[in-house]
Amino acid sequence: MLVQQLINGLTLGSVYALIALGYTMVYGIIELINFAHGEIYMLGAYIGMITFGFLTAFYLTSPSPAAALLLMMVAAMLYCGACGVTMERVAYRPLRSAPRLSPLISALGVSIFLQNFVMLAQGPRDKGFPHLLAGWGIDLFGGRISAIQIFILAGTVVMMVALELLVHRTKIGKAMRATAQDREMAALVGVDVNSVISVTFLIGSALAAVAGVMVGMYYGLINFFIGYMAGIKAFTAAVLGGIGSMPGAMLGGLLLGLIESFGAGYISSEYKDVFAFAILVLVLIFRPTGLLGEDTSKRA
Amino acid sequence: MERLRIWLATLTLVTVLGATHAQAASTIKIGTAGPMTGDQGAFGQEIKNGVIIAVDEWNAKGGVLGKKIEIVWGDDQRDPKQAVAVANKFVNEGVAGVIGHFNSSCSIPASTIYHDGKLVQITPASTNPAFTERGLWNVFRACGRDDQQGSVAAAFIAKKLKRTKVAVLHDKTTYGQGLADETVKALEKAGIKPVYYGGITQGDKDYRPVLTAVKQKGPEVLFYGGIYPEAILVTKQMRELGMKASFVSGDGVWTKDYIEIAGKDAEGAFITFTPDQTKIKEAQEVIKKHRERFGSDVGAYTVYSYVAANMLLDAIAATKSTDGPKIADYIRKTKWNTALGPIQFDNKGDVLVSPYVVWEVKNGKFVELK
Repeated sequence: MLVQQLINGLTLGSVYALIALGYTMVYGIIELINFAHGEIYMLGAYIGMITFGFLTAFYLTSPSPAAALLLMMVAAMLYCGACGVTMERVAYRPLRSAPRLSPLISALGVSIFLQNFVMLAQGPRDKGFPHLLAGWGIDLFGGRISAIQIFILAGTVVMMVALELLVHRTKIGKAMRATAQDREMAALVGVDVNSVISVTFLIGSALAAVAGVMVGMYYGLINFFIGYMAGIKAFTAAVLGGIGSMPGAMLGGLLLGLIESFGAGYISSEYKDVFAFAILVLVLIFRPTGLLGEDTSKRA
Repeated sequence: MERLRIWLATLTLVTVLGATHAQAASTIKIGTAGPMTGDQGAFGQEIKNGVIIAVDEWNAKGGVLGKKIEIVWGDDQRDPKQAVAVANKFVNEGVAGVIGHFNSSCSIPASTIYHDGKLVQITPASTNPAFTERGLWNVFRACGRDDQQGSVAAAFIAKKLKRTKVAVLHDKTTYGQGLADETVKALEKAGIKPVYYGGITQGDKDYRPVLTAVKQKGPEVLFYGGIYPEAILVTKQMRELGMKASFVSGDGVWTKDYIEIAGKDAEGAFITFTPDQTKIKEAQEVIKKHRERFGSDVGAYTVYSYVAANMLLDAIAATKSTDGPKIADYIRKTKWNTALGPIQFDNKGDVLVSPYVVWEVKNGKFVELK
């Protein structure tokens, strides 16, 4: 039971972490809580499903499910990346010098728009998501880890390593860190702040798209509303880890997943959200900046 | 100038709204409420289709009281708060009566508002006993009750399946927990004490943690009180965790979506529901019309909604009024011949006879067990 709950919790946590990264990256750079981020995740799941439909129509899924899966993820990443960039251009950039509340409300507007758009385009009912990796799993120390769980855990690790390398080893990563530290100063030394912000939205949205496809397959069921709860959970994870901090988002996501899983398994599944949010409150009382967050008052 | 313009705009808007309102008075409105969108949209659609077929028939005959019938839709999104908002909207719009809601957790809070607004409410689907147990004059239920359904499920587990290790999960809603509790009560009478009892949260997607804990208790049967979106996930995830227990649930799961999305994991699930509607002679007409109009077979509660709408309209026509208490009186006193066969209500608003039977999922279809 312990091992099984650990596996459940880590899988769930990885997904939260992937979505939380998008929140935290955007916050780190323009100090905006992008409430439409959960919707991008939902879009990712839908694009994955639609791509699968196309591939099946041309008999391309049966020879190699793995390649089909890869294509689904790439399509979702491209589409959601483009959505993220457009969203920033249309809804946030014109408001960049406005009071902080304005882009926040704009974000809520984008969220409502995307939800209703998908509802009208794809219908309000649940859709079954194709399960390409069904069937096999490995028994491990009394627990059972399924193929999809391995896929989610491995995928998350790959994504996170790639992101770390990007941020700390490349020029654009350096520009991102500079913009996060001080946007005006970065502009003065020649960083193209606008394109850095666009890239941030692109990467954050692509990560959410990956999460969308993985979770769609994990649960086998998607609807236009899944972005809401996932968004709230990921936002909680980002705040728990310290919003603005990327390692914080990863840690926060994993912790949240584990707390929920163990809380539901050992104490009571009815109160599992209570544990998660109670821990959040406690952390915020004793460490207002989150577990790994820096003191933002210095920056302001 | 700017202020003047806003004023003018407001005035125009008010005039337009007033005009549509005045125009609408030449029709008789009936309210129809349920989860039209959201994860339970499939059930909302069933109610919608049933009412559409009934109202079309009436309008083709010239409407009721010499006026055309207009359906006013209310989408409660299975959320009790929304249901109350919908109820207030119906009262304000002056509907003559209400068909709905679907979820007991929506029907019950909405019913007090209909009561204060003197509107008759006929639910086609809410099975929680409390709906009719509070002494309201305006509520009717065309379907059965969970205490009846729960005892059928318990008897099936104890006598047919002959299992004693039963785990019980519910979705913490009025319907889900109510059905689970009624089943537990009946199980305990048969000397079976559940090895696990717990709730899950509606709208969540990951039930593996709680199912892992359930698996630990080694149940032979998992009874689930709730609606199909969560039932699909519970079914899939329990199989994924390697649980072999039989899945048993209630009418909230009896929908095509459950079988289609849960796929082969749904095979062998047992669902309590009313006997096969497609075998009722009187229902054939509706079933045929539904196929012609919507291109699909009727759902669990389509015919119920059709019947409910017909009873409401019949009562309006017979009493020649849209007065709530009069309509309620008529519905209570009448011996109905409906598309579901003869129906009669008791004083509380429950149907006198409501048989529940057990269905099994076999080869991707619901099959009634004999």
